[in-house]
Amino acid sequence: MLNEIQLWAIVNGTIVTLEIAIVAIIFGAIFGVVVALGRLSKSKVANTLSWFYIWFFRGTPMLLQLFIIYYAIPIIYLDATGSTFTVNPMIAAFVAFSLNATAYLAEIIRAAIESIDGGQMEASKALGMSYRQAMTKIIIPQTYKRLVAPMGNELIMLLKDTSLVSTIALFDLLRTTKTMASATGSWIYYIYAAAIYLFLTTIIQVVFDKMEKKLGIYER
Amino acid sequence: MSMVKLVNIRKSFGDLEVLKGVNLEVSQGEVVCIIGASGSGKSTLLRCLNQLERISDGEIYIEDVLSDKRANNKDLMKIDPVTVQSLCADLGMVFQSFNLFPHLTVIDNVTIAPLIVKKIDKKIAETRALDLLSMVGLSEKKDEYPSRLSGGQQQRVAIARALAMDPKIMMFDEPTSALDPELVGEVLATMRQLAEKGMTMLIVTHEIGFAREVADRVIFMDAGVICEEGSPEEVLLNPKEERTKSFLNKIL
Repeated sequence: MLNEIQLWAIVNGTIVTLEIAIVAIIFGAIFGVVVALGRLSKSKVANTLSWFYIWFFRGTPMLLQLFIIYYAIPIIYLDATGSTFTVNPMIAAFVAFSLNATAYLAEIIRAAIESIDGGQMEASKALGMSYRQAMTKIIIPQTYKRLVAPMGNELIMLLKDTSLVSTIALFDLLRTTKTMASATGSWIYYIYAAAIYLFLTTIIQVVFDKMEKKLGIYER
Repeated sequence: MSMVKLVNIRKSFGDLEVLKGVNLEVSQGEVVCIIGASGSGKSTLLRCLNQLERISDGEIYIEDVLSDKRANNKDLMKIDPVTVQSLCADLGMVFQSFNLFPHLTVIDNVTIAPLIVKKIDKKIAETRALDLLSMVGLSEKKDEYPSRLSGGQQQRVAIARALAMDPKIMMFDEPTSALDPELVGEVLATMRQLAEKGMTMLIVTHEIGFAREVADRVIFMDAGVICEEGSPEEVLLNPKEERTKSFLNKIL
C-alpha cells in the first residue's frame, strides 16, 4: 500500500495534471473563439493569420511545441541578448497546452458557428443588429449545446496528453507513479494511475453529458 | 411621400442576372403584393431593399433618403454601416422560414432587438412585446420556446418580432409558403389586421385570393422585370399581358 509521502506525491501529481488541463481548456476556449472568428472573417489578414495559427499548432507535435517554449526560447534569448533566462516549467506547460488547445478548439468553434442556419444571421441583420450583436447574442449562444460534446472530448484528450510534461521536469500524475514503480519494482502504481485517470475522465464525461442536456432545453 | 423608391434596380449573381431593371415606388399606407413564378426575382427584390443582398446597379430610396446607389457592383455613395442598420430597422422583414431565434423564448424573441439595438428599457420593451403578442393572439405562449409552437404560431411571433422595432414598412417574403394549409389562414388574418391599421406593406406571395382582397396594387414579376402592375382587379381578373395570363392559369 501507499505510504503518506507517496500518497501526497500522487495527489500533487494529480493536481499538476488537472491544473494544466483546466488552464488549457479555459484559455483555449477564449482564444479559440477569437481564432474561429478570424477564420470566418472577411478580412484577408485575420483569415490568413488564423489559418497559419491552426496550421502550425495542429501540424506539429505537442511535444515539439513544449520543447520550443521550454528549451528553445531561452537559447534564442541567450543568443540574441547574451543574458540567460529560464522558463518556469509550469508556465511553459500552461502556455504550450493553451496555444495547442486554442488551435483545436478554434476549428471546433468555427464548425459549430457554421452549422447555425444562415437565416439566423439574416433575421438578426433585418432587425437592425450589427454583426457583433448578431454573433454575441444570437449565433454564438446557439453553438453552446453543439460545443459541449467536442469540448468534453478535447478536455479528456488534454488531461491524458499532460503526461508529456514529464519531459520538462514536471511531476505530473504519470511521472510520479512511474518513478514509484521504478523505485520499488512494483506494477501496482500503474494501476493507481489508471484508476485516477479513469476517475477524472468519468467526472468529465458525466458533467458534460449533464451540461449538454441542460443547454438543449430549448430544443424539443 | 414615397416610402420606398427603387430606380432601375439590377442584381446579378455571377453571370445570372435576376433583376433586370426594376422601378417601383410604394407610398405610405399602400399594400403591394408581388406575384410571379419562382426565380422571377420577387424575393431578391425584397432582400435588396434591406441590403441582405447588395444590388448591382441602381438606386434605393427609403422615405426619400438615398440608402444605396451602385453601378457595376461598385458603391457610388459612401455606406456607413450604422446608417444602413437604422434604415434596415425601418424595414421589418418576415421570412418564409420564420427564422425565430430558437434559444430564446417567444417574448425574448420579440424584445431582443429593441433591447440591444434601440437600447430601450426592459420594462417598456416587455410591455410593448406583450401588446404585440396579444395582437397576434399569442400572449399565453410568451414563455415557450419556438420549437414548441406550430408553424403558423411561429410566423405570427416573427411578425410581432418585426413589429417590435416599429418599422415603417413591413416586408413579407412568402410568409405562408412553408406552412401546412390549415395554418395559412391565421397568418393571413394577422397580416390583414396590419393592413387595416394602415401599415405600408410589401408582400411576396402565392396567395392570390389574399392579394385580391388586401392589396392596393398587384405587381406581376417575370424574368427579373415587372411585367404588369395595377389594381388587383386589373392584374388578377383582367390581365393584359400573355405572361400574366399564363401564370394565373397555372396556379388558379
